[in-house]
Amino acid sequence: MNTLRALLALACLALMLVADGDARAQTQVRPYRIYAITFRGMTDVERGFQEYFAARRIPVQIIFRDLNRDASRMPGFLDEIRATKPDLVYTWGTSVTLGVVGTYDSYDPSKHITDIPVVFTLVAAPVLAKIVPDLKASRRNVTGVFHVAPTEAQIRAMASYRPFKSIGILYTPTEQNSVVVVDEVREVSKRLGFAVIAKPLKLDSAKRVTAEGAPEMIRELKEQKVDWLYLPPDSYLGTQAKNVIIPAAMEHRLPTFASTEQLMETGALTGLVSRYHSIGQFTAYKAEQILVHKVAPSKIPVETLTRFSLQVRMDVAEALKLPPPLPMFNYAELITKPQVGAAQ
Amino acid sequence: MGTIRVRFILVALVVSFFAVGMAAFLNYFKYKSTIGNIVKSRVLVVGRGIENSVQASLQLGMQFSELSQLPQLMQREKSSDRLVRGIDVFDYSGQVIYSTDRARVGQKVPATWTLAAERSKTTEWATEATDEYVAGISVKNAFDLTVGFLALRYSRDEVEQAAAAAGRKILLAALASFIGIAIVAPLALIVVIRRFERDLRTLEAAASHLEDRAQPPPSTGSAFDTAIGHLRESLRDANKSLDDLRAKLDTAG
Amino acid sequence: MLEKNYLWRIYWRLAGVIMVCVVVALAVVSYFSHRVFERELVPETEQKAATVAASVRALMLKATGYGVPFDKLYGVEQTFGEVFEENPEFSYAAVTDLDGQLLFARGKEPDGVREYFRRPAVVAVGLDPTATWTATRVGAQYFITMPIASDKPLGMLHIGIDGKFVDNVLLEVMLDVVVVLVVSLFFTLELLNFMAGARLASGLGEFAQQVERMRSGDFTATARIRANDEIGRLLRRIDAAIDHLNVRYEFLVGELEDKMRAAAGPRREALKPAMGALEVMRSRLRFGSAPKDAEGDEMNLNRIRAPLFAFILAEEMTRSYLPTYVNQLLVAIPGFSPQIVIGLPIMLFMLIVALGQPYLGSWSERVGRRRAMLIGASIATVGFAATALAINLYDLLLWRSLCALGYAMVFVAAQGYVLDRTGHDNRAQGFALFIGAIMVATVCGPSIGGILADNIGFRLSFAVSAVMALASLLAIARLPKVEVRTTTSPRPSRGPRMREIMALMVNKRFMTLTGLAAVPAKVILTGVCFYLVPLYIVSIGNTSAMAGRMLMVYAVMMVLIVPLSASLSDASMRRDRYVSVGLIISGLSGLLLLISDSFLVLFGVVFLLGLGQALSIAAQSALVAEHCQEEIRIYGHDAVYGVYRLFERLGNALGPLIASVLVIFWGYQGAFIAISALVLVCGIAFTIATRGLDWQPQPVTQ
Repeated sequence: MNTLRALLALACLALMLVADGDARAQTQVRPYRIYAITFRGMTDVERGFQEYFAARRIPVQIIFRDLNRDASRMPGFLDEIRATKPDLVYTWGTSVTLGVVGTYDSYDPSKHITDIPVVFTLVAAPVLAKIVPDLKASRRNVTGVFHVAPTEAQIRAMASYRPFKSIGILYTPTEQNSVVVVDEVREVSKRLGFAVIAKPLKLDSAKRVTAEGAPEMIRELKEQKVDWLYLPPDSYLGTQAKNVIIPAAMEHRLPTFASTEQLMETGALTGLVSRYHSIGQFTAYKAEQILVHKVAPSKIPVETLTRFSLQVRMDVAEALKLPPPLPMFNYAELITKPQVGAAQ
Repeated sequence: MGTIRVRFILVALVVSFFAVGMAAFLNYFKYKSTIGNIVKSRVLVVGRGIENSVQASLQLGMQFSELSQLPQLMQREKSSDRLVRGIDVFDYSGQVIYSTDRARVGQKVPATWTLAAERSKTTEWATEATDEYVAGISVKNAFDLTVGFLALRYSRDEVEQAAAAAGRKILLAALASFIGIAIVAPLALIVVIRRFERDLRTLEAAASHLEDRAQPPPSTGSAFDTAIGHLRESLRDANKSLDDLRAKLDTAG
Repeated sequence: MLEKNYLWRIYWRLAGVIMVCVVVALAVVSYFSHRVFERELVPETEQKAATVAASVRALMLKATGYGVPFDKLYGVEQTFGEVFEENPEFSYAAVTDLDGQLLFARGKEPDGVREYFRRPAVVAVGLDPTATWTATRVGAQYFITMPIASDKPLGMLHIGIDGKFVDNVLLEVMLDVVVVLVVSLFFTLELLNFMAGARLASGLGEFAQQVERMRSGDFTATARIRANDEIGRLLRRIDAAIDHLNVRYEFLVGELEDKMRAAAGPRREALKPAMGALEVMRSRLRFGSAPKDAEGDEMNLNRIRAPLFAFILAEEMTRSYLPTYVNQLLVAIPGFSPQIVIGLPIMLFMLIVALGQPYLGSWSERVGRRRAMLIGASIATVGFAATALAINLYDLLLWRSLCALGYAMVFVAAQGYVLDRTGHDNRAQGFALFIGAIMVATVCGPSIGGILADNIGFRLSFAVSAVMALASLLAIARLPKVEVRTTTSPRPSRGPRMREIMALMVNKRFMTLTGLAAVPAKVILTGVCFYLVPLYIVSIGNTSAMAGRMLMVYAVMMVLIVPLSASLSDASMRRDRYVSVGLIISGLSGLLLLISDSFLVLFGVVFLLGLGQALSIAAQSALVAEHCQEEIRIYGHDAVYGVYRLFERLGNALGPLIASVLVIFWGYQGAFIAISALVLVCGIAFTIATRGLDWQPQPVTQ
């Protein structure tokens, strides 16, 4: 089904590239050339990106290059960009983006791309990663899309599933990303009036984070009468969720809320995530602003979606005897089969 | 007597005609808009159902132009409510992509439709075609970009027949109460007018006796007593002066 | 004046009787409408409830399809809550199982509903999956019941429609009906004055004048033709008495003169006392025939009221919806924010009126008041009709300019008409009549206009205004063709000269009054009432009719308070204090929106604004004369007042501009608050500037 759809989309694209009668295409005889670098092969993001142009009948020619998690390939890509001079560069994820544009306070014009507009996508925290100094205006030849739903939106989604008085959080104290989110949750709790019990994961003798003791922490949280276990966007937690965290939570009948699609895939009850396809479309929208409407990237705000996908794992809901509230059946994405990845 | 009376009664009739007319007008239009809104919101409930399913598909990453099960759903929803004449889905350029009426696919909807959608502050909008009403919903994607529109066309007759029937009844009630007022108001007014006319008559009577040398007529209690008093006094004063002159003339022989 | 009060008492009594009749008639119409509404709306609402119920049922079936047990559904009440929010006429919703036992419910439970759920007929609906829905009346509610069934029957869904929802629908109509009632009252008084009163008033006025003349010893006979009505006959009686006196006088004088001619010596001496008496009498009393003067103007003066009222009404009707209409026709003008563009037609209107008035004054004098009014009303009629047909903003601006030009012409010419026909003694009275017509139009216009706009649309409402202007045209045509100039009317008015404007602009005393009081008062009037209120009301989802009601509150405040404050400020307190208090109250009005943004608060805003403006408005212009004696001595009365009025009217034009700019930065609420704060600051500054100054008229020293 998916391959069929992808094929269809490609066919559309091809058709459109060959014979497009649209007025915009006539003024722009030459298709826009986009150089795209992915981190781990093609994902739904790229599909959404291409389909947006197809739907808007904007002729584009996209050259895809895959880093395949190997940073050593980056210099070759950069040389190719300089040689081919595309109209726009598309970068997937934090490491690819940093490889192409560097940080705003220490980039190297001889190495990084500065003269060609860059649109990044799927960067969790663009300011924290120093890609842009400010979300409102990048002040560089760069703009893009991030994909983590605002913390408050997540908290509200949690409350709309089941109201709560207190939530528990497990996080990695060495991951800045995670620490920031925990602080944000505390901030929101003051406004909305609920308690937050956050427990950092333990560090071993080599000062490396370890999942040891996590199940006990979850038991303690349950004893402290938290209503939810919130899983922040935390890389280490992500690696441990499926085998350690989620089973422990299930054992103590504690509902879990995932902040990213990756965590959602490990078996959390529910979560507010960005669909990769929508992120791709939104990235294409930003590219359209630059290519078609000639807006300077420095003036285009770095944003995320306004509407996220609320995913619910129905088998988990059934196991916890916590069915989603009726109105949610109207808008939530209900996952019935265990361990079905939403994104490729 | 009478000219003033007629004028006052005329005023009463004009004002009550205005008031009763306005009340009938207000009630009629309120009825029309209320029934229009009830019908529209009913149609929109159907529309919301379709929109939910479109949204679910969009969230799964399907393109707006490849919602293959949508026409069936639209057909089903259309047949569930006899009021709905047709359902169209069109894109941002106004081109119909899906319709319960196959011939409409590929055609452009009137510009007024997209205009009405743009003008609306919410995702719901409404407009009128020549023989039908249109209620619509703007379909927005995950970053608030309008990707297309859902339009439900429904019969004008339903609303208009109901409004016409109610209008006739309201008009009858208004006419009846206007006739009622046309009968009652003059009678009621005459009570006030008679008092006024009595005042004027008193005044006239007093004026006709202005030159009497006799004692002034007893106070009538009308608002004009003082004025009459003044008149009499002035006249008496003038007559006295003339009498005085007469007397002096007479004494002079 | 006794007669005037007497007449008003009669009017009020008549108006009272008419009002009682109207109220009864309105009650009858409302009662029948209520029955019609109930009979026709309930089935439609049931139909809608069935559609809503079907969509809720679909959602529940979706949930059970995912394996959630029917009786373990969560958040059903929440779904019902959302349904109530969107459909306020639904007041109760419930799900029962197949036995009629309540599973989920929300809303106020009507009496006897549990028995209803268990009725065999109702339970049968649940067991029959092919059943569509049934409607029943339970207590005060209409109930829709629908079976819920997947592959097997699950239960029943019930939605209760509040039986009182028709009342709620009609409550909104009642508000408009009250407006109609208020407007009817003003119409009644206006019509009494127009149809019967003008003649009565002039008759009684003449009677009073006659009494006064006789008291002062004037017994000259007026060769006036008396109308053949009650008062005419009365006047003829008095005329007869005067004629008799005159005949006697003539006879006596003739006799005396004869005797004087015939007599000589001692006889003449004997006639001396009689001669003396005649001399004394002649010094005290006057006989003979009165000089023919241009009287009967009282009557003419009153006749201006109706056409002026009709004309001003045409313009006032558009107040409550014009900005919303412009909003609808909006085309983007590059470089301008839409907010400013919406204010543009109002600004242009006010600007044309402000700049046109001084010049139109002398023009109307040249061509004649009646003709000037005819031309003005014709131009405005064309303007209104074309506005109704406007294609976009650009031509709308042109049409509105025509309306403005016509408005200015009619206004100025009518003012001139009053000036021409009044002397020093009755000028104030003449202007009271002039202002009265305008005031009543401002009460009736916006509210009726708003109601019309809501119901028949903006364009047709403008067409109604055009018809109104046309009607005024016909009324103007019936005015006397003869132009009158009394000797006491002021010399030809002229536009203020640049030199005077410049000189007064740097004059501290003049600018304290103009800049801190007059202009801010006008800015808040046009900015808030003509621009912000109509737009804000519609932006919060209310109607133009509501905007009209708001403006009516303002106008009613003016009608009630202005006469009061005018007489009080003359009698009790210093005028500048009235201006201060008025400005500060106006300034505080908008700050109410800091509390809440509901439209009830907005009523408070408009109420306070009306109160503040009414308190200061009468005192303000009188203050110019008191305050700027020195300037009046130098530049002349007309010049100072001319510049003052010009600035005031420029303030009118400035109001929408300032308001629209504020809206861009701070939104509607912010704009209300900011503009009020501005006026508050001006009010405080004015108070400080005038504190301790002696306003008593001072002798002018060299």
